[in-house]
Amino acid sequence: MRLQVEHETHYQYSSPVLLSQQLLHLSPRALAWQRCHAHRLQIEPVPGELGERDDFFGNAVTQFLIAAPHPELRVHASTTVSVAPREREALARPRVPWEEAREQARSHAAAFLHESPHVETWRELAQFAAQSFPAGRAALDGAVDLARRIHADFEFDRKATSVSTPLREVMKKRRGVCQDFAHLMIGALRSLGLAASYVSGYLLTEPPPGRARLIGADASHAWVSVYCGAGGGWVDLDPTNDCVVDDEHVTLAWGRDFGDVTPMRGVILGGGGQELEVRVTVTPLAE
Amino acid sequence: MAKELLAEYPRASARYDEMLAAPQAPRAHWQALFAQLAAEPAERLRERLHDVQRQVRENGVTYNVYADPQGADRPWELDLLPFILAPEEWASIEAAILQRSTLLNRILVDVYGEQRLIKEGLLPPALIHGHAGFLRPCHGAKPPGGVMLHLYAADLARSPDGRWWVLDDRTQAPSGAGYALENRIVISRAFPELFNDLKVQHLASFFATLRDSLAHWAPQDGGAPLTVLLTPGPHNETYFEHTYLARYLGLPLVEGTDLTVREGCVWLKTLSGLRRVHAILRRLDDDYCDPLELRGDSALGVPGLVDAVRRGNVLVANALGSNLLQSSTLLGYLPRLSEKLLGEPLKMPSVATWWCGEPAALEDAIAKLDKLVIRPAFPQLRVEPMFGEDLDERGRKRVAAMLRARPSDYVAQELVQLSQAPVCDAQRPRRLQARAIGLRVFACASPNGYVVMPGGLTRVASADARVIAMQRGGSSKDTWVLAAGPVNTFSLLRREIGPAELVRSGANLSSRVVENLYWFGRYCERCDATARLLRVALARFVDDAPDDGADGRAILVALLRRDDMLPKDAPPPTDPELVAALLSAIADETRPGLASGLRELARVAAHLRERLSLDNWRTLNRMARGRGRRARPAALAEVLVELDGVISAFTTLSGFALDGMTRDAGWRFLSVGRRIERLQTLAATLKLALEGAPGEDLTWLLRLTDSIITYRARYSTRPQWLPVLDLLVRDEANPRSIAFQVGGLRDYARRLEDMFGVIGEERMQASAEALAALDPGADLRHGSARLAAFLDDCSGAAHRLGEQLGHRFFSHVGEASRQTFAT
Repeated sequence: MRLQVEHETHYQYSSPVLLSQQLLHLSPRALAWQRCHAHRLQIEPVPGELGERDDFFGNAVTQFLIAAPHPELRVHASTTVSVAPREREALARPRVPWEEAREQARSHAAAFLHESPHVETWRELAQFAAQSFPAGRAALDGAVDLARRIHADFEFDRKATSVSTPLREVMKKRRGVCQDFAHLMIGALRSLGLAASYVSGYLLTEPPPGRARLIGADASHAWVSVYCGAGGGWVDLDPTNDCVVDDEHVTLAWGRDFGDVTPMRGVILGGGGQELEVRVTVTPLAE
Repeated sequence: MAKELLAEYPRASARYDEMLAAPQAPRAHWQALFAQLAAEPAERLRERLHDVQRQVRENGVTYNVYADPQGADRPWELDLLPFILAPEEWASIEAAILQRSTLLNRILVDVYGEQRLIKEGLLPPALIHGHAGFLRPCHGAKPPGGVMLHLYAADLARSPDGRWWVLDDRTQAPSGAGYALENRIVISRAFPELFNDLKVQHLASFFATLRDSLAHWAPQDGGAPLTVLLTPGPHNETYFEHTYLARYLGLPLVEGTDLTVREGCVWLKTLSGLRRVHAILRRLDDDYCDPLELRGDSALGVPGLVDAVRRGNVLVANALGSNLLQSSTLLGYLPRLSEKLLGEPLKMPSVATWWCGEPAALEDAIAKLDKLVIRPAFPQLRVEPMFGEDLDERGRKRVAAMLRARPSDYVAQELVQLSQAPVCDAQRPRRLQARAIGLRVFACASPNGYVVMPGGLTRVASADARVIAMQRGGSSKDTWVLAAGPVNTFSLLRREIGPAELVRSGANLSSRVVENLYWFGRYCERCDATARLLRVALARFVDDAPDDGADGRAILVALLRRDDMLPKDAPPPTDPELVAALLSAIADETRPGLASGLRELARVAAHLRERLSLDNWRTLNRMARGRGRRARPAALAEVLVELDGVISAFTTLSGFALDGMTRDAGWRFLSVGRRIERLQTLAATLKLALEGAPGEDLTWLLRLTDSIITYRARYSTRPQWLPVLDLLVRDEANPRSIAFQVGGLRDYARRLEDMFGVIGEERMQASAEALAALDPGADLRHGSARLAAFLDDCSGAAHRLGEQLGHRFFSHVGEASRQTFAT
């Protein structure tokens, strides 16, 4: 499917920001199932310094600096991508028992096995995860079941959490947004010794006729990639929508958690109070 | 005599004794010290001890203990007796540390580069990916000269069989080298002849190597590279050491807010603009160094620093991410890594350590738990060490369950029975005691390989002889490594400087230092004025004070109200109320007055440590101690004596400023601060005096302004308005007059304008002209509207100048960066 993504971030400050340094994870990754046709960044005011590089996980990062005082900051990413279906292929791969996948992960997916700043693991979470992983079950089947349970047991609620809400609180409240559910599922998998990464991206806002509108489509989205053992590979699951990721998810970047791939992360000097508005629309284009 | 020394010295049956080879028989390299101690009377030893304590106190050597309710600035504990090492023994320690630093550096470079050790199975990936100190943004940065570990420290201990073991590696920003240096300076003065006779190796060339090597690897851009020392600030436990090393190495001491990153380079914000920084010796933990790419929840770092490093535009020592090696999990893998990377066996063993993340190690550890200590595998897990021998059956079961639940989080280590060395106690100096000791040794990278400091920081255990930690109230010793050949007496202070290196201006003066100097000047003056006001007010209530101040009470009350030392909207205080208010203004830090002023002064001074001379420090320290001592309510006369002490301390401080400081821009800011404060206080005081009764006795005013001697020398009459106002307003020769402040401020402002361009001193110039236009006959009298307007004008001009300077030179200081997120 060919998609047009418009992602606009707008900061308004109560007093001018004197120095602003920002890191952007807003360019789509080039992948076997995803091709980027056009990608354009518009930044106002125009940065004094602008650079691009790849981060540790191979994601493209844009870095900029504005040293002139400015009362507002606008970053507009405009992207055209095509995404190929991948659910059917993923489900057709050989199934590996989760205990084996766990062993293989120690050497093949070591970067995604451990606690990270936004993903804590603890006993209750491990117990929660264990219900989906009886002995001998395939890693993929267990993960699909875990995503289903998170979707069933937790309520999508924009007001319940913020970027800094700890996972334990999400677990207690049983509410949150896509980011929280992704972190929760990652934590659950890692607490069993399985490897999981955090994927940041977008969802199709207006689905084609006959398909249901997905949750979280008017903002940037996040889901989980699970390592399913040798032959099983990495499979993307979306606990917010209880689905295996297919051709309606656009992949921007992946890392251990939100902190590694925050769409826009920065440090400012000055500024006083700030108001932030983020708008995302993803529309299908004719092929 | 020797018998007496050892009368209470315990025989070390289970420990190695550093001093004694057998009962009553000192080892050869301890004999000279032992003989000297044996020959000295208790009184002489006590003198030496007190001398050591006095130097530590007066030099302001401190170590902040976070858990201590007294908090910051605990005096450093230093024992009189050095720890002595023989040349041949040192040679083997030196070789082992040299090898170990080389090895650790190789590992670090591999992990942040190719990661071959992981790919070849020599290092479990979990040791890297599970360690919060593995900084992914720093992966792939090319370390200049292949060096990431510039300064390395190892904690060593000696087991009962006499072998040395490595307990811990310090790879991030090792502390202690500066304390070792300070210990050396103090103890070599305590035993000067012995120090020379024994041929103790000097430390200076080690520090010169460190400094020169940083300059060698720093990126070159034609000029002399600028190296700075980055500190988290005065709240850090080892802040003393940061200031000490900065001064000793001749590096500007900077905090994160002093630096900024532009065009991928690091710059120091100085008075004369941005100056390129080429190398940073950091004492800031690496995850705090860059809020943009590393931890964002702290304002201590420099946003963009990681990028500057990645682009090769600045050298950071140690390299960002080196905390990774500060992990006990690594210890078990070192022997194999040494064989593999260096092709030779590890020369000094690490204390036997097993990472419980390996299933076999976990079961072993649980089986012999009572002989082991359990420690966290990674520094981010803040767990206290657990000693198996302290646990009962239930406790052991609990720990075993804990290990099985999260095996990768723990290591099990064998206990090393620490060796013991003699310490000397002030109570009974002729009865040596024994304490367990550990030795921290240091190595630094140089273009010719690693160099080991011939000495170190000997740390002395407190009650629990199994743990040595300054945070737990341990003490320290100087470490004497005896030379086999001639001693290298190179001194950093005696380095030859060529004509090209001559420096005149304070070119590296950071904006923060300048701002602090300005406030140091203002607070000194403010405290001085407050102390004088309190003294004049309090003297009225002390019997033997000269009885010349029956009048002036109303104005003193008004002045106290102006400075919030008395409530503004209350009826006139009774005498007991007034006395109570004065005493609380002197002693109570939570209320406006002298105590809170001195606290502010101490805060600003703490940021200026490396800029203030030791004499300044001693004066400030004495003032702080003088106030701290008073536990019971003091008699008024005693309080007066104390105020006298404070006022003379300030006279001393301003004397240092006049006589001891270079007239650079920093000094000018300090002086401007002083004069702005003095001008504002004086103008306000005169205005209040002019609003009082016309027939008032003015002695109080002359006392308050320290001008009574001059007045009496000039006039034999009791104070009258015209001569008093002439002395306090128009007399340019009186350092306490309005004219003196106005003229000085105008001149300083002009000098600063010469250096840095227009500041805007027009109002001060206008005040100077208005002053010249005052007519003594018409204006210098009680009730003159023109005089009152002039005083207001001066105050306004002073305020304005302060604002201009702040805006121009220090507007960004104190304002912290903050992190933002958008999804």
